[in-house]
Amino acid sequence: MITVNGIHVTFGRGTPLEKHALRGVDLTIPEGQFVTVIGSNGAGKSTFLGALAGDVIAETGSIAIDGVDVTRWATPKRASLVARVFQDPMVGSCTALTIEENMALAAARGRRRGLGFALRGDRRRHFRERIAELGLGLENRLHDRMGLLSGGQRQAVSLLMATLAGSKILLLDEHTAALDPGTAEFVLGLTRRIVEENRLTTLMVTHSMRQALDYGDRTVMLHEGRIVLDVSGEQRAGLDVPHLLALFAKQRGGEDITDDSLLIG
Amino acid sequence: MSEIAFFGAVEIGLVYALVALGVYLSFRVLDFPDLTVDGSFPLGAAVCATLLVAGVNPWIASLVAALAGSMAGLVTATLNVRFKILHLLASILTMIALFSVNLRVMGRPNVALLMQDTVLTPFYGLGLPDHVVRPLVVLVVVVVVVLLLARFLNSEFGLAMRATGVNARMARAQGVETDFHIYAGMALSNGLCALAGALFAQTNGFADVTTGIGTIVVGLAAVIVGETVLPARAMLWALVGCVVGSILYRLAVQLALSADAIGLQASDLNLVTAVLVAVALILPRMRLKAASKKREAVR
Repeated sequence: MITVNGIHVTFGRGTPLEKHALRGVDLTIPEGQFVTVIGSNGAGKSTFLGALAGDVIAETGSIAIDGVDVTRWATPKRASLVARVFQDPMVGSCTALTIEENMALAAARGRRRGLGFALRGDRRRHFRERIAELGLGLENRLHDRMGLLSGGQRQAVSLLMATLAGSKILLLDEHTAALDPGTAEFVLGLTRRIVEENRLTTLMVTHSMRQALDYGDRTVMLHEGRIVLDVSGEQRAGLDVPHLLALFAKQRGGEDITDDSLLIG
Repeated sequence: MSEIAFFGAVEIGLVYALVALGVYLSFRVLDFPDLTVDGSFPLGAAVCATLLVAGVNPWIASLVAALAGSMAGLVTATLNVRFKILHLLASILTMIALFSVNLRVMGRPNVALLMQDTVLTPFYGLGLPDHVVRPLVVLVVVVVVVLLLARFLNSEFGLAMRATGVNARMARAQGVETDFHIYAGMALSNGLCALAGALFAQTNGFADVTTGIGTIVVGLAAVIVGETVLPARAMLWALVGCVVGSILYRLAVQLALSADAIGLQASDLNLVTAVLVAVALILPRMRLKAASKKREAVR
């Protein structure tokens, strides 16, 4: 369970570029819920995810994961509870290391890293079995460098890596935005499967309203650093992209939506 | 090249192989361009020589010298990680400070070790000529260091250190305390360079504050030569490459200096090294450019 209480984040305080990115976000996500997060550019989606992951430390307010206050925890410490997949496949993996080394790195998340071999026989076998589940034939390429994989393959492996250490929370930061539509579809399907199999509490930031409604159980819309829409259950089931757009326009006080990226189905 | 010159080149190549391994750790593994080595190498020599003169056991003196180097590495890492000073500048600050420190440690610009017992002393008089004994002893040290370092870099801790250098953001998201790994890596790197300095003092019979000049370039040259002749991804072979590169580099320099036709003097060494490293850094880029031009032409 994630409990977010009135968090504020300001970038570049006191400079001409000061940006009040989050202006009091409250959100409680029960265990096992899959929440999709939408909003226009600069709405604070990525900042919000960064605040949950520890990249951004909230100035006021609090964040608790499973009842533990993690507000002041830095990223590496939070990594014991939270797994992430980044938008850019280059950011989310070590391209110069092999696939199995990347997996070993992820599998040690939240543990003390000692002087034992990172890749022992039993671990290699385990990694091979797990990566075979993806059905991409990567089980025979464990010694290949991560950089040799395509963007889609890398995101698939990143998703798998997120499950290796048994974290219960998964943060997805537009993880299909850099992929072509067909590959994005595959990665999203894989996401759904992995979330269900591991009963992960998930936050998925997306640019696509279609995706936001098709995946998960709850949709949250951010605008100018605040949550302006929060739908789930039947209310959400009855929603379609045009409804969502209308709701969004209403929240913004009837302004026209000029941000093209929001309209992409 | 005479036999003595050959073994001399191998010996100095092996001593600097430790520098190459340290430079590999900072430049390649951590992606931290570190010039501290120009100070930590003579620091190792200074500490070791001073302790030897004071009658300390040579192995203990070498170990203490390595620890002193680690401290220097920690200073640079602290300036960079804790106080956000650009890595290059941080390392230059430490390097320049170490010049004074080294003078203080020795109390004078150089210390001679003519009558002192060194780690080599027990091995002289075992039947082999001295100029063969020296590289052999250093070789044993280098082999042990390479094996330990390869083992370390393949451990969970070492893997996390490599990830820190390759992609710090991802490493942090995987729970790696990247700052801590930078401290550890820098300490290890400069510890190795100081150990090289300690061995240098013992094989050459003196420690001098000026021996550090250009250490980083020599180390880098060895790493680059090693990567060219032994392009390996497995950790152990990459490290062996550093050692091979260091020896080859010294042999090439020796060859160039001993060929009278070229007309080079020993004092031209730094110029030759700088040109060699520059060429080695430029070549891959030129090759890349040529390749992309060819691709365009095909289109």
